[in-house]
Amino acid sequence: MRRASRSTWDSLAVPRRCVCGNPIRLNDLLSSSFSTSSSSSSSSSSPLSPSVSSSTASRSSSIPTFRPLSSAPSSKSRTSRPFSTTSSLAVIPTLLPTQSAKLAALHGRLNLPNGYPLTTLGRALIDPTAEPEHHLNNDGLSNLGNVLLGYYASEYLMVQYPRLPYEILKTAMDGYIGPKALSAVGTGWGVEAAFAPGQTVDPGLLQFNRVAPGTPLYKVQGGVGFNIPRKRNRMVPNFENNPSVDQQLAAETPEMKAAREAQRPGQDATTLQLAMASFVRAAIAGVYLHSGGLPSTKEFVYAHVLSRKLDIDKLFQFEQPTRELSRLCVREGFQQPIARLEKETGRYSRHAVFIVGVYSGEEKLGEGQGSSLPEAKIKAAISALKGWYLYSPVSGADLPSKTDGNPGLSYTPAVIDVGDIVS
Amino acid sequence: MVVRGLQAVSKAQNGVGAFVLQCKRLEFNYCEMSGSSRGMKAFLKTRLATFAKENPGVEIVVSPRPKKHPIIRGSYINKREKVVCVRNLEVLQVLQKAELLRDASGDKIKKINKPVQSLNDSVRGIWSPYHAKGEDVYKV
Repeated sequence: MRRASRSTWDSLAVPRRCVCGNPIRLNDLLSSSFSTSSSSSSSSSSPLSPSVSSSTASRSSSIPTFRPLSSAPSSKSRTSRPFSTTSSLAVIPTLLPTQSAKLAALHGRLNLPNGYPLTTLGRALIDPTAEPEHHLNNDGLSNLGNVLLGYYASEYLMVQYPRLPYEILKTAMDGYIGPKALSAVGTGWGVEAAFAPGQTVDPGLLQFNRVAPGTPLYKVQGGVGFNIPRKRNRMVPNFENNPSVDQQLAAETPEMKAAREAQRPGQDATTLQLAMASFVRAAIAGVYLHSGGLPSTKEFVYAHVLSRKLDIDKLFQFEQPTRELSRLCVREGFQQPIARLEKETGRYSRHAVFIVGVYSGEEKLGEGQGSSLPEAKIKAAISALKGWYLYSPVSGADLPSKTDGNPGLSYTPAVIDVGDIVS
Repeated sequence: MVVRGLQAVSKAQNGVGAFVLQCKRLEFNYCEMSGSSRGMKAFLKTRLATFAKENPGVEIVVSPRPKKHPIIRGSYINKREKVVCVRNLEVLQVLQKAELLRDASGDKIKKINKPVQSLNDSVRGIWSPYHAKGEDVYKV
């Protein structure tokens, strides 16, 4: 999928060839009225090429193979995809989720229990932008998964680091369960995306409607990107040579504009990252629904999401650390912090090194090293503040979710801190 | 006087928590006619079903590749592929090659010189001449 956007673009202008040799257009793929002429393309069933989906065959005995509602194909296009096989026309056979080797392999790779049906996993792979029917896409599952992920990630962080400031807590949550992180989880599971949603797509592929090339990223729902118009005096300067979004839009050709508008920008298209993240959320909701409720969901979330590496101490950015430390000492009733020079070398040389410790009375709060006295002092204050904020109880308080499966268990509540330092 | 958060994304540590097999797909190609595919065809008939059952996380694909030597092609999560030619190999040798591809990470072969590779900082810390005392100051 490295060059997906480019090839999406190509397909809009240039007719491509179907597997059977018939020229097709992207719009044909998207509409349900696929002609019968391409029925011969079920290439995998010829005797010489037994495309063995044996991982499916081996598992299908233990997995219930029910098919959710292949009800009458209604007037709305793509309603019955991807589960319909009841059509009397000899259209290209759509694979059932239980017949897809890719889907069964994903199920096996994630070590999901047998109670987790392939149909649910298949449904989790269908984004609302590919299938507007609510009962066929992953919208509901994804919302449920989002709630579960938020629950486990927030309780983990709050119990582990009770003094974390709210801003850092939000950033850490984003680092664990934000779209970027979840998309990386999904990619790490080996999930691939389909070129475009359609009836012929293997149910083991992620299906979503791609954002047309040239669409400004800030127009994508929930999306962020480098071409968001920036305000002045923000951290990233707005260089004069940096073409603004308006200039980019003004430079597009009429064909590009038509293609962009034909692909229904906004809610009806999404990026790979957002679609992948919503798949991961939906897959987690499936664990909750099908394999034992909260305790097994917790295990799954810890195994796949919270076991990833995130350095909380690298998320801090202080504005005035020395002042903040001083306010902290006032609030907590400590003596006022004093910075003392502990060691120095080469003061008049090109590479001076100063070691400064910050003390409250006899207690040393933090230490910093810098090539100038102010730098070392500021670093010492930052180290002291991080020592305060990143406090973690040694004896280890219990997570609130400990009693989810068994309310009778003994429970040690977590430390509740008074909150951020405010001046 | 505010603390701001710097955006960061958690990094994967496969095996810490869950382990995800990196080989996601194995494709077995054979030729109906040529003799170099004899062992491969026997493998497909006798061993492949068991192999697939033992490895539910790997998608297995079998397809002919006429007038060519038989190969096994592994696709990996890191979007790389590894291909092994199994011409004239016996059944068990083909099985060994399939297992080799299944267990591979998909990365390029590289020499690992350090005994430990870790995302974590050193527990002991880095030696600093400004904190050492006595004779240790001169032991760099």
